[in-house]
Amino acid sequence: MSDPRPVPTESTNVSRRRFLEIGGAGVAAGSLLTMLDARQAPAQIKGTSLRMLLWSHYVPAYDVWFDKFTKEWGDKTGVKVRVDHMPHLELPARYAAEFAAGSGHDLIYFVGQILTGQYYRNLVDLSDVADGLGKKYGGWLEASKSAAQVNGVWYAVPDFFISIPVLWRKDLFASIGMGEPKTWDDLRKAAGQLKGKGHPTGMQFSHCNDANHNWRALMYCFGVKETDPSGQNILIDSKEMRESLRFGKALYDEGMTPEVFSWDDASDNRFLASGVASWIHDAISAFHSTRLTNPKVFEQTFVVPEVAGPGGRWNVGEPNVWAIWKFSKNVPAAKEFIQYISDNQKEAMEASLGYNMPFLKDQYKKPMPYLGQDAKLAALQDQEKLTAFLGFPGPMTPPAQEVVTTFIIPDMFTKVARGASIDDTMKWGVGEIRRIYAKHKAS
Amino acid sequence: MATVIVAPRSHKSKELRRHTLIYLGLMPFLVLAVFPILWMAITAIKQDADLYLVDAVPFWFRQAPTWKNFDFLFHNTSYGDWIVNTMLISFWVSVITLLTAVPAGYALARLRLPFAENLGIGIFMTYLVPAIILFIPLARVVSTLDLQDSWWSLVIVYPTFTIPFCTWLLMGFFKTVPFEIEEAAMVDGCGQLGALLRVVLPVSWPGLITATIFSFTLSMQDFLYSLAFVSISDQKPVPLGVATELIRGDIYFWGSLMAGALLVGVPVAIVYNLFLDKFITGITGAAIK
Amino acid sequence: MTQVSLGGPPPPGSLSVPVGERAWAVSRWRTPTARRYLFGYALLAPAVLYVALLVGVPFVFSLYLAMSDAAVGAPVARFIGLENFASALENAVFYTAVRNTLVFTVGAGILKGLLGTMLAFLLLQPFKGRKIVRALIVIPFTLPIAVSVLGWKWMFDSQFSVINWALSRLSLIGNYGSPDWPVWLGQPALALFSVMFVNVWRGFPFSAIVLLAGLTSVPPEIIDAAKVDGATFLQRFRMVIVPMIAPILFIGTAFDTVFTLSDLSIVYLLTNGGPDGATEILPTLAYNTGIRGGALGRGAAISLFLFPLLLPAMILLLRTLRRKQY
Repeated sequence: MSDPRPVPTESTNVSRRRFLEIGGAGVAAGSLLTMLDARQAPAQIKGTSLRMLLWSHYVPAYDVWFDKFTKEWGDKTGVKVRVDHMPHLELPARYAAEFAAGSGHDLIYFVGQILTGQYYRNLVDLSDVADGLGKKYGGWLEASKSAAQVNGVWYAVPDFFISIPVLWRKDLFASIGMGEPKTWDDLRKAAGQLKGKGHPTGMQFSHCNDANHNWRALMYCFGVKETDPSGQNILIDSKEMRESLRFGKALYDEGMTPEVFSWDDASDNRFLASGVASWIHDAISAFHSTRLTNPKVFEQTFVVPEVAGPGGRWNVGEPNVWAIWKFSKNVPAAKEFIQYISDNQKEAMEASLGYNMPFLKDQYKKPMPYLGQDAKLAALQDQEKLTAFLGFPGPMTPPAQEVVTTFIIPDMFTKVARGASIDDTMKWGVGEIRRIYAKHKAS
Repeated sequence: MATVIVAPRSHKSKELRRHTLIYLGLMPFLVLAVFPILWMAITAIKQDADLYLVDAVPFWFRQAPTWKNFDFLFHNTSYGDWIVNTMLISFWVSVITLLTAVPAGYALARLRLPFAENLGIGIFMTYLVPAIILFIPLARVVSTLDLQDSWWSLVIVYPTFTIPFCTWLLMGFFKTVPFEIEEAAMVDGCGQLGALLRVVLPVSWPGLITATIFSFTLSMQDFLYSLAFVSISDQKPVPLGVATELIRGDIYFWGSLMAGALLVGVPVAIVYNLFLDKFITGITGAAIK
Repeated sequence: MTQVSLGGPPPPGSLSVPVGERAWAVSRWRTPTARRYLFGYALLAPAVLYVALLVGVPFVFSLYLAMSDAAVGAPVARFIGLENFASALENAVFYTAVRNTLVFTVGAGILKGLLGTMLAFLLLQPFKGRKIVRALIVIPFTLPIAVSVLGWKWMFDSQFSVINWALSRLSLIGNYGSPDWPVWLGQPALALFSVMFVNVWRGFPFSAIVLLAGLTSVPPEIIDAAKVDGATFLQRFRMVIVPMIAPILFIGTAFDTVFTLSDLSIVYLLTNGGPDGATEILPTLAYNTGIRGGALGRGAAISLFLFPLLLPAMILLLRTLRRKQY
């Protein structure tokens, strides 16, 4: 089903690399380079068609840029490109249908819910592209392997990850004599005092995507490990997990209102924009949207990459990776595109208003696009040092995925916030996680 | 019924009292049904920032009302395409549904067939098979027919849930057609099929219309199938298009969402209501015969 | 109203069979009965075939999935018998989901029946503006479900809920931030009630219409006869009207129940089963486990779980109904 003709990516990589050396490594993906890039693209993809499916980016301007960017690539290379966008939570259903149908898009995108582990037998081996990119841009972040590799083989190519920092109101903190929060205790203290003044905080205790990320950030900062690095052994039944549950309950009791039980992914954005929130733990899309809907609040909103807990400082990111179905009829063009967009990461980061965080080490050279220019966001340039993904420190395996989609962690925190004992909650939660892992091992 | 000579004035006041009681009784239902619709309509012409003002009145405007949301709907999304798709899909689904459910309903209502009862129950049982599992093998069917990402895939799939319901509905309608009419036609040399086509169908046209309307509304309820089978923007039906393109992560374009819903829901309600009359008089008429 | 119109065609040998040369039909297939059967099955064939191919076959496939360890990326898998069903029973959330599903379906069904009946009676009366009222009442049902549910999501919002705004202006509850500000989708019992409420909001117009049709088909003479006999309104309702509209009522309820049981959209869009399983129903649990979580086999088992219970119940209901009609 895939293209029988050989893909000469090696030769094009070499010629590009040589050109980089000649042209000077300081030149980023300027238009000169992209023009030459196009000339190096294999002629055989000309006249073919490529279909790709992505998510609807949380920063709408990015999709506008991306669609234009892709069309230009298509014009340059002679490939007829079609780009479809879909809300990321619905992508798994669509992929299940495409897989069952044996047809659909060529190039697909996993966001947050990383399905590499589920579909790897039906995805094209992308080691050539990934290794090439790694060599070219200083290597991949260690965490990137979690989302894109299975058994050490690259079945996906990481694109960006989304980091979820702390957004806080400087004026409100100042009113209680606090400066920039550095630890989870700071956040707890601030919320506790500001709640009385009508400015509580909020983190979702519900069945939504952010709930999975936010509570894991707390957990990892308290030193909780979900599994060991192999992903096989469950380590979540620990003293640290109990501590984090205890802290979560305290944070709720002291600093939040019951409305957080009904929150969805967008509720904390609205909370911030309404002027009520003292701080939220959310991706910077909230930062950007508040700029539009409530400029007064925006003026006072600042960003901290993450706060520390007794177990360290860990920020939970949401990875986005590219993959190609084996049944695709145009694997070469898909690989070409992955190469192309990866070479233009700086432009993409700019277009995303700093939302997209790269996986390639060289892209962290300062100043980074957009983040380097915005004083409030500058600290995010070091985000890669703090980033962990779901399942940490293990990879994002299918059982880890199922734990995520059945919302076990948010449910555990909800139970304690509502008054259940830590013991009962641990027994339930750990039991459920063990059960899921056992089921996956059996098959 | 007792006949009493009533003075005109007290008759009028009786009418007034009757009307008042009815309106009072209807109030809760109207509030229940209409309050959300009214709110949706107002939201559709509100500016985005106006929605997020905590102390503002939801039923009035802090910032000037705007047609921007409708504008956005038609210029920044393929809403026009979506409406056309939805109408076309519903049309074809109704055609398929009528072509299959009318004969089936007639057969089950009129002809005493062995196993008919079980077949009827069997068709009904299909609703218990959950769509969240069905869509996977159906994806295979859709791709075999090469209809993936086209709204025609939905035309093939939607009858799976309109046919059972409409079969029952039409069965009910056909049962109320007096048998003498058919007899008369058959005596005239029509044959069973002729009787069906020439006599029964014309008389049951309220039932046919009702089945069509239900096909329409049932088709507009689906979300999962359209999500799984259609990803190209201009092939989407309204519910899918609105839900996938007017929500970007954590940004809900509430104004346009509400506008999108009302633009398609209200006309259907109006048409529905026009034929509701026929539906009811049709049944009543048939019953009185 | 004659009795004949309720039944099927008269027995063979009567008016429908022309007397004459066909009277001594030779082959079995030429008898009127056989012809009727052939005709009948031919008429049934399109519907049955359509449904058998597009639902029946996939249903068998889903049974296979439910009894295998299939995953989304590997649908051809080992047969493991009833293990998936057993593993569903090991999951504590499963019991919550079953309970919620039953509460949701039965509760919403009762509410829809009650509201539908009341509304149907009101709409039966002639009054000025009846047409407009009917048009307005029908709108909740005609709006596409995905979008109207999203509208409700905003109406139930924890901060900006228009319902809370209205209630607090009427001094029935406190202001935002006070303890009696309802968090419709956050407090467990309230959340389940809210999702039920949306289902009822959408469905009661449908119930009212079906009931209205049934009520208008009751001949006024029978009601008058009952009035003459001295029956009170309630007695008339119970003894005369209910039995006459029973068939339409039962079937309408049956369909509505089945639609409600398999409906994913309302809960998925409002709470996705949260908080902490308060609104988890079997369809959402099956979807999150099977499709988003990738464990197809177990997801299929969860979604098919009620099937063995519902199938006999439906059969019983429909059989009883058919007998009643004769």
